[in-house]
Amino acid sequence: MGTDSDLAAVLQSLHPSYGDTGLIGADPKLCAQALRVDGVAVSVTAGSGLSELLWSTAGASAWLEDLQFTLGQGPALEVAASCRSVLVADLSRVSADRWPVLLPEATALGVGAIFCLPLAIGSACLGTMTLQRTAAGPLPDAGLTDARLVANALISILLESGPQREAFANAADSSAFYRAAVHQASGMVSVQAGISLAQALLRLRAHAYRHGRPVVEVAEDVVARRLAFHNDENGPDIPAGEGTEGP
Amino acid sequence: MTREEHLLAAMVDAVDTLVDDFDLIDFLHKLCDRCNELLDISAVGVMLADPAGGLQLIAASDEHTRLLELFALQADQGPCVECHRSGAARLNISLKSPGETAAFPLFAERARQAGYATTHALPMRLRQQVVGAMNLFDSREQGLSDGDARVAQALADVATIAILQHRTIVHGNVERAQLRAALSSRIVIEQAKGILAERWHSTLDEAFDALRQHARAHRQTLAGLCQQLIDGSLESSVIRRL
Repeated sequence: MGTDSDLAAVLQSLHPSYGDTGLIGADPKLCAQALRVDGVAVSVTAGSGLSELLWSTAGASAWLEDLQFTLGQGPALEVAASCRSVLVADLSRVSADRWPVLLPEATALGVGAIFCLPLAIGSACLGTMTLQRTAAGPLPDAGLTDARLVANALISILLESGPQREAFANAADSSAFYRAAVHQASGMVSVQAGISLAQALLRLRAHAYRHGRPVVEVAEDVVARRLAFHNDENGPDIPAGEGTEGP
Repeated sequence: MTREEHLLAAMVDAVDTLVDDFDLIDFLHKLCDRCNELLDISAVGVMLADPAGGLQLIAASDEHTRLLELFALQADQGPCVECHRSGAARLNISLKSPGETAAFPLFAERARQAGYATTHALPMRLRQQVVGAMNLFDSREQGLSDGDARVAQALADVATIAILQHRTIVHGNVERAQLRAALSSRIVIEQAKGILAERWHSTLDEAFDALRQHARAHRQTLAGLCQQLIDGSLESSVIRRL
């Protein structure tokens, strides 16, 4: 259960990261606990509509971000586009055509409620903070205030253009980039299949979705050369002796 | 004007209209309340610099006349005035100590009369500029722990962002552009690593080292080089395999 001291601890610990943990320090689990939800995820959006997961609790929250990235639909994309919060107190009451592919997947993950807030400054949306809970039900007013406190504290961290951002931009630390493998694999697949980077990413996404796997995992197989996409007629090639690439 | 100055100007221009922005004021009031609860103190106020450089109260944890008067006094003296001027936090000021309150004797006297023993002022910063200050009051004679001081500064930062967030400031797009540029350049570098590693049948690390070496030798940014490799304006054969 979240308490005041939890929220104080979260605000106290939020700082730009100095280690290899990405742009945001602090413990996402503690943050979720303080906000009385089951998980939290923070993504930022790059040009070209690609997003990067910066910070999240393990499990459903990370999965939900991956699913949205793979499928190209979901609350985080709506929030990033509109710069307005999307608060879904009960996922089972959302009309099926709003996020037709995502909804059943999210329900299967056991997600009952999603609260997605923009990380906005002025009219510009830097990214999103998504809270999810297994139990359906609205976020209480006090909870929403605390969520906005945390969201704003996150913005102030992201705006600090310190050496961390410089190091991040120059790939000085590869472990800090959650979707690094996806972009590396896009590069490799574009050469393998002789297609554009955008098409390569689409093929990775399609493959991930078809096999019910996170796109990052599929990308890691490509990077490790366990999986290749040499021509688009017969799907990906699997090098001999490596077996199939999972269920 | 530098970009920061532009941003600051846009922000102080907004001060006059802030009082009409109900959502923002409501949020800042809630923030003050939370600040009271989280830090276990007696009262909090958020003060913002107006275009003339004076401080105006934007929100407070309660509206007692004696508290409001303390903020009003800081038109010309008080811990927030000093904090706004210096940009540094002034924590754990004992209101009974003539030495610690030498710069604002009237403020200290009124604060004591209102029942407060300790006060703290924290800068509200936007990058290098100080746009206002957050003022905390405690009826007890006690200081903030280091951890509490960090929480207080985080809340002062939150207040700054909240104020910015509610203004349609074009410069917000600049902030976003910088973050996006960092992210985009990172993506481009990872893609180029993949392309080169696949062409060379090498590891990603070998490709990365070669790209870095080439960028350094040709005084190019790494992201710029990677972009050229991606759009084909640079042949990968030009890059020396280490």
